[in-house]
Amino acid sequence: MADLGRAALLLTLGLSLYALVGGGVAAALGRRRLALSARNALYASFFSTLVASAVLVAGFVRDDFSLAYVAGHSSRELPLQYKFSAFWGGQEGSLLLWLLVLTAYASLAVWFARKRARDLVVWVTPVLAGITVAFTWLLVAVSSPFDTIAAPLDGNGLNPSLQNPYMVIHPVFLYLGYVGLAVPFAFAMGSLLSGRTDERWIVATRRWTIVAWTALGIGQLLGAHWAYEEVGWGGYYAWDPVENAALMPWLVATAYLHSVMIQEKRGMLRIWNVTLVGLAFCLSLFGTFLTRSGIVSSIHSFTQSGIGPWFLGFVVAAVVFTVTMIWLRLPQLRTKARLESLVSREAAFLYNNLLLVALCLTILWGTAWPIVSEAIRGEAVVVGRPYYDFFLRIFGLPLLLLMGIGPLIAWRRASLRGLARVFAWPVGIALATGALLIALGAGSSIPGLIAYTFAAFVLATIVLEFARGTAARRALTGESVPVAFGQLVGRNRRRYGGYVVHASIVLLAIGVAGSSAYDSVAEGRLVRGESLSVADYTVTYRALTEREGANATEIRAVLDVRRGDDELGTVRAGKNAYSAEQQVSNEVGIRSDLVTGEDLFVIAEQVREDGAVFFRVFVKPLVNLIWLAGLVFLLGSLITLWPDAREERRLATRYARAGDAADRPAT
Amino acid sequence: MARTSSPARLVVALSIAAVLAVFLLYTSLAGGGTPSVAPSELGAKTGEVSLVGRVVGTPTGDPHGSGMRFTLQDIEGAHKEQVTVLYKGSVPDLFRTGRDLVVTGTQRADGTFVTTPGSMITKCPSKYQAVEPSA
Repeated sequence: MADLGRAALLLTLGLSLYALVGGGVAAALGRRRLALSARNALYASFFSTLVASAVLVAGFVRDDFSLAYVAGHSSRELPLQYKFSAFWGGQEGSLLLWLLVLTAYASLAVWFARKRARDLVVWVTPVLAGITVAFTWLLVAVSSPFDTIAAPLDGNGLNPSLQNPYMVIHPVFLYLGYVGLAVPFAFAMGSLLSGRTDERWIVATRRWTIVAWTALGIGQLLGAHWAYEEVGWGGYYAWDPVENAALMPWLVATAYLHSVMIQEKRGMLRIWNVTLVGLAFCLSLFGTFLTRSGIVSSIHSFTQSGIGPWFLGFVVAAVVFTVTMIWLRLPQLRTKARLESLVSREAAFLYNNLLLVALCLTILWGTAWPIVSEAIRGEAVVVGRPYYDFFLRIFGLPLLLLMGIGPLIAWRRASLRGLARVFAWPVGIALATGALLIALGAGSSIPGLIAYTFAAFVLATIVLEFARGTAARRALTGESVPVAFGQLVGRNRRRYGGYVVHASIVLLAIGVAGSSAYDSVAEGRLVRGESLSVADYTVTYRALTEREGANATEIRAVLDVRRGDDELGTVRAGKNAYSAEQQVSNEVGIRSDLVTGEDLFVIAEQVREDGAVFFRVFVKPLVNLIWLAGLVFLLGSLITLWPDAREERRLATRYARAGDAADRPAT
Repeated sequence: MARTSSPARLVVALSIAAVLAVFLLYTSLAGGGTPSVAPSELGAKTGEVSLVGRVVGTPTGDPHGSGMRFTLQDIEGAHKEQVTVLYKGSVPDLFRTGRDLVVTGTQRADGTFVTTPGSMITKCPSKYQAVEPSA
């Protein structure tokens, strides 16, 4: 079986090499038949990777411990669903999953664009094939999942903290995000290579970018939720290098999604957009380098392996390639359109871009600082939470405010009167909210208060936009409110889907501010019958239970929860002792209040022989809005992604012309 | 101002903003970071540091009482310097003899490393390559 897996990977390597070289020659010399065959090789590389992946899955399901990778990440008694997720429980399998996702994306993106952007796809094929070659090379020569050993009786098992439904899907979403960024990158580079610098690459990749960006966002929220429920230290984001590695490309991709709108509308910012796409892709590679090389210490410490330098090489190659291509095409990329006013939608988008990129670069700086300081001062200095929190406030709060301003302000040039008309209500609502919050005692945290006031402002603008749009449709067509609303959203999916995404970011901000700026904590060792008070809750330790689970011994402390005079039932917190893995893991008890969004979060830190338990109890207001934000975010993204026949036709006619002409005029 | 402003000017303005941002970064970093050292590098350092090492011997005491004591040694290299650590607060699940971890704290005059409560971060044992996939 291992031989089949290895052979399939070798085949992928051969096919992608052919697609790279053949496709490159075909594009340079204009050979249509060769280009077609290179494209077919790219499709085929997906299927050979699929075979390799199937071999590994079979190895896990059949407990084939002669595969070193299976022996290292599974055991006989591991539940079946975790045997599947153990696929990406380690480095080699993670790389294989990356390759599988990459070839799938590459094939689909090229397939969908093959007719509409034929001359572009010719150049995109070798770029995608180049990325595929790099990853396949790692899997074939450096870090193979198909190494064999003398089969042990049982495997090492899977890390208990990964035995969780979130860990089955969280990595997959993150990969869909990271790897998906390769598609806009390849199309941007293909566009530069072909010398055609019009907007078609943006149109051809808009949906792919949103898919990747959505997956990356959802993947991070799933990871945060996993950390919150499973790792159990009372938080959901720790500014750890590995977490930052996912956040940075997401921030840059967010900036890109906004700035392309300016390019589509006004033909501006072409260089900037290509740069952002390159940056996003390079950051996803750089993140991997950071975490896989072991060069910075992380809570999610990976085996320090030999692939770090390879990734550094990939990053350098990608950066050099991107910079060279932009440099060579600078004359074609320059635009005549100018920013007419610093108070306009273009300007608002530009500020949004600068803040997002600044935030990203600050995080990058903090993440890389241990390496930089080691090189300069000879001493690795680690920056902690205060650093990141500081910059999140400095850049994040203005971003929140801009989210309310950007969509409403006029293109080109906004007049003072226009501004007053549009923003009077939202500003009024925001100020009223701020005053109300101060009266309620939210003034204890200034950043929290600002965040809430801004959040109220943005929500007010979004609600007003929906209300105005619906009212305008009704006046025009006489439709009923639900019909007008549905039509409004259905006919302007990008715009209103975008507003829904904005609303989700506001929810996220409210949740983050609430749970970090207004939380409470208490701790203490309790014997049965004793209580602990935190905020307006009282928890009383009642009993200790022990139960044999499928692959772990589950110890739970049972606590009664009261708030004021209300009995709120019980919460169970404890520990699981995993036998195969010889590992203990915290199992926290969470009581969510679905009306207020508040969580009571109980950690049983230490269970003593005599039954006394050391508890740590948090009250986290509004934390559930963060998870709700994930659902709203997904909804908004789906609205913008939903196929729109009208828009397709409009774009098709617009770029059919562009496809024939040498290049679109720059204005 | 608006009518004559060009992208070039804008870029200049943006660059200034970027420089300011970097300056901000620098000032905040100078005060914000903690050096990361191994037990052999601790020497006579007195300020706050992050100590990275491997647990050797058997931990004693109660982290939620008067404090837990354990010994750290360099993860790599031939150095045999050992540091006694006094720790209070949450102990991560992965804490055990032979594991690698990071604690933040300061060294007392008697050589004991007194940690900031709850600052312990354990690294996954090498047997597991954590799944968190930024690969």
